[in-house]
Amino acid sequence: MIALWYSIVSFMLIAYVMLDGRNFGAGMLHWLVARTPAERRQVVAAIGPLWSWHEVWLVGFGGTLVAVFPRLMASAFAGYYLALFLILWCLILRGVSLEVGGHIDDRLWQGFWDFVFVLANFLLAILFGAAAGNVARGVPLDADGRFSMAFFTDFRATGHVGLLDWYTVSIATFAVVLLAAHGATYLTLKTEGPVHDRSDACARILWAVAGPLFLAISIESWVVRPELPGQAIGNPLCWLGLLGVAVSIYLLISGLAARREARAFAGSNLLLGGLLATGGAAIFPVMLHSTLAADHSLTAYAVAASPSALLLAAIWWPVALALAVAYFVFISRRYAGKVSVARDTQGLY
Amino acid sequence: MDSQVSNPAFWSRMQFGFTITYHYLFPQLTMGLAWFLVYWKWLALRTGDEEYHRAVRFWAKVFGLNFAVGVVTGIPMEFQFGTNWAGFSRYAGGVIGQTLAMEGMFAFFLESAFVGALIWGEKRLGPRVHFLAAVAVALGSWLSGYFILVTNAFMQHPAGYRVEADGSLGIASVGSYLLNPWAWVQFAHNQMGALVTGSFVVAALGAFYALRGIHPVQARLYLRAGTFTALIASVLVAFPTGDQQAKMIGRHQPVTLAAMEGRFTGGPMAGVAMIGQPNVAARRLDNPIEIPGALSFLAYGTFQSYVHGLEEYSEDVWPDNIELLYYAFHLMITLGTAFIVLMAFATVQNWRGRLESTPWLLWLLMLAFPFPYIANTLGWMTAELGRQPWLIYGLFRTRDGYSEVVSNGDVVFTLIGFTGLYFVLGLLFLFLVGREIGRGPDVEVIARRGEERVP
Repeated sequence: MIALWYSIVSFMLIAYVMLDGRNFGAGMLHWLVARTPAERRQVVAAIGPLWSWHEVWLVGFGGTLVAVFPRLMASAFAGYYLALFLILWCLILRGVSLEVGGHIDDRLWQGFWDFVFVLANFLLAILFGAAAGNVARGVPLDADGRFSMAFFTDFRATGHVGLLDWYTVSIATFAVVLLAAHGATYLTLKTEGPVHDRSDACARILWAVAGPLFLAISIESWVVRPELPGQAIGNPLCWLGLLGVAVSIYLLISGLAARREARAFAGSNLLLGGLLATGGAAIFPVMLHSTLAADHSLTAYAVAASPSALLLAAIWWPVALALAVAYFVFISRRYAGKVSVARDTQGLY
Repeated sequence: MDSQVSNPAFWSRMQFGFTITYHYLFPQLTMGLAWFLVYWKWLALRTGDEEYHRAVRFWAKVFGLNFAVGVVTGIPMEFQFGTNWAGFSRYAGGVIGQTLAMEGMFAFFLESAFVGALIWGEKRLGPRVHFLAAVAVALGSWLSGYFILVTNAFMQHPAGYRVEADGSLGIASVGSYLLNPWAWVQFAHNQMGALVTGSFVVAALGAFYALRGIHPVQARLYLRAGTFTALIASVLVAFPTGDQQAKMIGRHQPVTLAAMEGRFTGGPMAGVAMIGQPNVAARRLDNPIEIPGALSFLAYGTFQSYVHGLEEYSEDVWPDNIELLYYAFHLMITLGTAFIVLMAFATVQNWRGRLESTPWLLWLLMLAFPFPYIANTLGWMTAELGRQPWLIYGLFRTRDGYSEVVSNGDVVFTLIGFTGLYFVLGLLFLFLVGREIGRGPDVEVIARRGEERVP
């Protein structure tokens, strides 16, 4: 049951990264792929109608986490206090810049909100990347399962670590490249004209860079958590995740080569999912590793809610997911195809 | 105050209080306005009258801005359960987590999936699906309200729980948890309050256009629908929902009722104080003007009913800010009464066909719209101050719920950050909504660079 809930919570997070990751990526590349105000509106239209639908998966993830792993939520969120508020503020700024920017047809107004949009998305990619690095590396949990962390300490990845060290910074860098590549692939699918061509070029470069970076962070992860590869080899789910990664690389490369944009974007999503699933399966059952002493680590079994709560959630959760999938199908069908600025901008200006 | 400033729970309470109060300014309009959109879209579908389409298009823009601010200010609320209230999440996460998760999975997914379709999608969807999108958004917003109120009702009047082996709370009966009678009463009361806000805003804009003599057809539409709905909702807020809420408090939180009314000594024939200042140090209500017996009757059904006084309870279960609680409650009642009088008069004038030719009434309607926001806020202050000193009534104290690992400095920092960010957000919201109001519902929307003209 607990393993099942661990997978469900991971699934929610993966879904969020796939969905909102494209917005982070598109946002980071906003200035690069769109040069004129009209082109920039094209990028915004590719994201605009759907951003709150994507962001709400984070809320779904947070809610599910409180319901089934309340003590993990309590330890982790309090421990990451300032970093989490930075994420929240960036999410606020990102949402506001999208909603507000299009309301007034003025170069200065739109230029300013485009700037906020790009900056917030960059920070979000970095912060989420660093957060992923922190989960992989571990945090200084004490014997009570609590921790509090500075932004940085001595930049070493052991003992009393901070949010940022050489390892988490490199994971954050990888996240920026990966999400930018994801966003570029999405924009290639959704846009036309010069934005499409530039996005396509960006995607090729970024995916090419992501490959060696992935190799580098794999080796780094092995250095930081030497026991993980051994754990991963014994776990069939990791192999499944890796299989997903392999398939996604094939889809991605063949999609990019043949200019089959939907295929490439499917590969891009599958790649994100496969990487996160492999990582999630490799660290199980530990949800938060302690850098101070291995037996302070919080396992899924120690932080889970009571069996009755898990059972109850297991009854209603699939219904909710089925509904969400139905909405997803509806939205995907309605918003399929290339965006058109005239049709997808609320007619607000 | 010194002891408060160094009290770690204090700053987290300030932050939660500030962020939730600010956040709730937006969902109350969303929940009220959503049904106006459904109503007008339905009329538009049935009659094909372009005026209804215009009303929907115009209010959808206001709704969209309002909804966006609601979303971005809402996400920090859920996260604060972990960041600032880790003790509470450890203790009760197994219970309240269920409804927080249900809210995300059932309500937010529904709302956010269709809000884009409602606001951005008229041309992509066609009229029928567009109408369904409006219904889905309205249902989603009310559903999310219900789940949050179940969560709050558990904190006010815990039901359906059990204490697990490790001392934390778990769910014993999902039925009694989800159908907590407190939740039903509070939901009804709160949703009517949201409808009051929505209808006052609609009526106020109608009055604004009518007084300026512009958009006459739209102004009449807003004034009629707004004032009539406002009358119904204002009455329902007081009776039966508010009345039932007070009875619920009398039954389950008698200390809170005593504090709300500033009653220090108990007794039968308890009066309702129209005016008076609670003097906690001297333990009496100064300068009261009371309606004798009214509180006994309202809370327990007969004039002879015994109403408890604060002195019957130990001070460590008294709400910790009795003055604020008392004034919040009384001001809410005063405003609620004024709403009924104002909207009853407006409705009568409307039936006589004189609403638009009574300028002073239009002025009142135009200037009245902030007050439902204030009344809703005061209502929530009554509920939450009245729950103190408990985080979960009778089970778990607020002072035990905060995050031990987070320093006061961190919380003050983020509180200041929210203050600044929300100030800017408020300016933007008012500026943009003001701009839409200035352009009005009748503008021919000109697509960018004249590429396309949309009527």
